[in-house]
Amino acid sequence: MSTVPAVSIQNLTRVFRLPTLRRESVTAVDDISFDIAPGQIYGLIGPNGSGKSTTMKVLLGLLRATKGKCAIFGRDSARVDSREEVGFLPENPYFYRHLTGRETLAFYGKLCGIRGARLKERTAELLALVELEHAADRRLSSYSKGMLQRIGLAQAIIHRPRLVVLDEPTAGVDPGGSRKIRDLILALRTQGITVILSSHLLEQVQEVCDRVGIIYKGKLVREGLLSDLMSIEDQTEILLRNATPEVLAAVRALIAGQQTTELLHLGNPRTTLERLFLDVTGGSAADAREYVK
Amino acid sequence: MATATPDISPPGPYPRHRRFSLPRVLTLAGGTFTQLVRMKVFYFMALFAVAVIAASFAFADLQTDGQLKLLKDVSLASMSLFSMLFAIAGTALLIPRDIEDRTLYTILCKPVPRLEYLLGKLLGVAFLIFISLILMDVLFSAVLYLKEKSIIAEQINILQNRKFASRELLEANIAAVSDAVTGQGLTWNLQNGVIAIFLKAIVLTGVTLLVSTFASSTIFTIMTSLAIMVIGQAQSIARDVLLGEDASAVPRLIAGGISLLFPDFKGFDIVDAVVTGSAVPALVMAKMAGLTIVYLVIHLMAAYVIFSDKEL
Repeated sequence: MSTVPAVSIQNLTRVFRLPTLRRESVTAVDDISFDIAPGQIYGLIGPNGSGKSTTMKVLLGLLRATKGKCAIFGRDSARVDSREEVGFLPENPYFYRHLTGRETLAFYGKLCGIRGARLKERTAELLALVELEHAADRRLSSYSKGMLQRIGLAQAIIHRPRLVVLDEPTAGVDPGGSRKIRDLILALRTQGITVILSSHLLEQVQEVCDRVGIIYKGKLVREGLLSDLMSIEDQTEILLRNATPEVLAAVRALIAGQQTTELLHLGNPRTTLERLFLDVTGGSAADAREYVK
Repeated sequence: MATATPDISPPGPYPRHRRFSLPRVLTLAGGTFTQLVRMKVFYFMALFAVAVIAASFAFADLQTDGQLKLLKDVSLASMSLFSMLFAIAGTALLIPRDIEDRTLYTILCKPVPRLEYLLGKLLGVAFLIFISLILMDVLFSAVLYLKEKSIIAEQINILQNRKFASRELLEANIAAVSDAVTGQGLTWNLQNGVIAIFLKAIVLTGVTLLVSTFASSTIFTIMTSLAIMVIGQAQSIARDVLLGEDASAVPRLIAGGISLLFPDFKGFDIVDAVVTGSAVPALVMAKMAGLTIVYLVIHLMAAYVIFSDKEL
């Protein structure tokens, strides 16, 4: 694997001047630094207005850094050519609603230099991937929110980028659709694609991300491998299958005899609400589509 | 989504980035043209058709050249109005809407330089104006040709019912009337008027594009562009009145600077001459084309300077 980080953000600061007479300003991002290794899924989390979107916009060249640098696979992200490595799905994307799904993918494909039979093939492939073949020739104005999100994902990866930036990719999508987007993100990882995922759904971030950065009031307050950040060092989890009451009683007795060890919880593990919903509803793609409609 | 592992593997086998790509510009232009067409702007053509056909039937009691002049006047004025409407409204709808809808994010996050984006928008609107003018011109030319032929037939009929000393005299009169009517009918000179309308609309598109790069809304863009159009129409008169012949170099320089920002649309007004049948010299047409290029380059560059610094 390449030693060049997929993303390198060094001392990034972004100050916005407010349109007031007193020349006030707001520091949206304050001296943030982190690297993302190729192939990682990186979760960028934080409350609204914490600086996530500003960080992503600077990385994508939509905003300029007041201080610091961003690089994508070693190339300054302010350069236009760095964007041939990036695919981006903005939050609540609005594409040209007068175009059909197929035309939308063809439009973005052409902007990336793909043409002719190759473009046709790639478009068909991605329409199948996001399960929009049935709506390929319908205008986006008739698409549901989940469908728009899926076509957005398809356009983000049309040029086979090495880095995909997803801003709230499951916003407004039902649990079935969210699960499928999650599966796609995981599939991207198996192909060695780096993903930056900004999401308010912490459970989703926890499920798919290798590494997480928590931004709060413009500062990166925690950053590291998810497994490191999530582990509670003074607690141990034992998961048993088919344990009889006698075995459980013996475990309790053993723990009770220890001076320094305390039993915090013993019971059945709980499923997540998302998993329960999918189990109850069947969770098929067709069902999810119907639900979205 | 499909359960099979998707083929999304990098690295992309696609062409490497080029600093400037004409196909990319044409893709953006094509997208812009499609967008405007699907907004049903061509429905305006129906209004034009009604105006032209109504003008061809109106004031039948006027003299023959008066009827043709009226038809040309109404048709060219309508073409001018519609092309300027397309130039301002079409362009004003593009960039502010792309920013508002965040469509711009998805475009500029691809390897698309901002200059190409602006150029694509400009070409898209220019193409729309070009196509709409061609359609209007074809309709206008057809109606004018039919009107011309019907007037000639009518005049010949009147002459044939009169008594002439000889057949030669009758034929000479018919030839004279035919020539007079044909001179006021469909001529190549009329196409110069249509070209001037196109060039003026293109300059206005460039101005509107420039305004839309710093405007905060579509309505602001439309109002500002309309104001610039009015100033551009009246500025040569104001310049003549205010500067006079003995003005010093400084006011003249300032006036020159203003005329770059606010195009002097008076220089494109040849329609009146065309309607009366006066021939437009090739030099005037060349001057107009040159002026259009100068204005386009200045406005596009100014738009790029503003847009390249625009934070999205």
